[in-house]
Amino acid sequence: MTSAGIGFTTPRHRILLPLLLLALTCAGCATVPQNRRARLADPMMSLTDEPLDAYRRAKLYDTREGAAGGDGAAAGGGCGCQ
Amino acid sequence: MRLGSFYVFVLLLTALLTAPRRARADGEAAQDSEILGDDSSGLRVQSTTTRISGFSQYGHGYQSQAGPVLGPGNERLVVFEPQTDVVFTQGDKLTHRIWLPFDVISAASPNSIAPPDVLSGASRHVESGTIDWTTNYKSTPVTDFTMRSGIHLENPFRSWSSGLGMTRAFADQNTVFGAHLTGIFDWFDQFDIHGHRYGRTERSTGTGTLSLTQVLSPTTIATMNYGLTVQAGELGNTWNSVPLADGTRGAELLPNQRVRHAVVGRLAQYLPWNGAVRVYYRFYADDWGIVAHSAEVLLNQRITPNLYVGALYRFHTQTGPFFYTTLAPVDATLRVADSDLAPLQSHTIGGKIVGDLRALGIARSLHYELEYDHYFRTNDLRMDVASCALGLRF
Repeated sequence: MTSAGIGFTTPRHRILLPLLLLALTCAGCATVPQNRRARLADPMMSLTDEPLDAYRRAKLYDTREGAAGGDGAAAGGGCGCQ
Repeated sequence: MRLGSFYVFVLLLTALLTAPRRARADGEAAQDSEILGDDSSGLRVQSTTTRISGFSQYGHGYQSQAGPVLGPGNERLVVFEPQTDVVFTQGDKLTHRIWLPFDVISAASPNSIAPPDVLSGASRHVESGTIDWTTNYKSTPVTDFTMRSGIHLENPFRSWSSGLGMTRAFADQNTVFGAHLTGIFDWFDQFDIHGHRYGRTERSTGTGTLSLTQVLSPTTIATMNYGLTVQAGELGNTWNSVPLADGTRGAELLPNQRVRHAVVGRLAQYLPWNGAVRVYYRFYADDWGIVAHSAEVLLNQRITPNLYVGALYRFHTQTGPFFYTTLAPVDATLRVADSDLAPLQSHTIGGKIVGDLRALGIARSLHYELEYDHYFRTNDLRMDVASCALGLRF
């Protein structure tokens, strides 16, 4: 279904949609006490790969694609193949 | 420093840092510090990990001379990549990480450049190594500072890097804000496409990154990153070639500056059936005209308390730079035929097994990972990657 199909056609509605998403995001930012974060400490929940694996993957993609960066490391440089 | 001496230094350093402490004689009582932890400011190894990866690549690209003059050349490549890192604490405020990656590369593209050139001897079979040292200082329970420096040695290539970073946690550590700066200086041989050497050239790279990590619920965490990278100097490898309209090949002609933006979002969600899903998205744009989107989904499933498996899919799409071509006019002022910079789409399918063996006696656990990835692109390139990691957690 397109935005036109659900009635988001006026400028006011186009502003309301991002505000609604922002409100939902902020609602999720309620403080979670440390004793309720056991699931987040599971290694499966890590937002990044194990550091040596992250290097391997980053090098694979950075040297074979035109895009790089955004992960804390420099986008290019530091190696003869980049 | 010669590479041989470099390897010996690295092995000695690794052995020194990972040497087990003095064994206790049978019957000797355990000391308080062995149970409660050592409160001295001495060094204490927390973990050590080794990883060995092998890459096998097949494909063709217009920058390679290992083929027809005006057609794509061979891009066969084999890489053997051992790595190791050691993490140790110094007192309760300092944490150090020493990381040592190596690469042994055999490539068809530079090997095709006819002798007697300097380049093919140096680049068809390359051994390279890096020493990277990162120190983290916890100034308060919620504030960390990070310092990093490294040196990279490769046959015709030297590189130095350094960085500074800071993270600050808020709201009972539900929110973590970070800022990092990294600088890299590369100094390397300059060649023409026939392998003749013309002295040295250099490039510099500066990156600034801002990050925000937020706990969204007891089972959800997300992070947003923005990275700005500015590069200046010689931005090619100097020996990639471009097919020309007059039936010959010429050198790449690239701008001497590049400004690169990347925005990354990640989210991890714990699943009710003892699993977890991680999604990743990156938007990238630079002033060469490349716009790219990358998305990845990683699904993990715990099998036993000490073992889980993962399945990964990644998709990438990009436009090419405004001066990309596979047949350039002879008088073009900017030109590149590198297949890595072409408009393309790529896919990665992978899987992994991750586990820990406990109660070993010498360490808290033995960590292991086995992984396999298959990467393929729409412009005739594919790669198989196998990787194995072993680590001790003290």
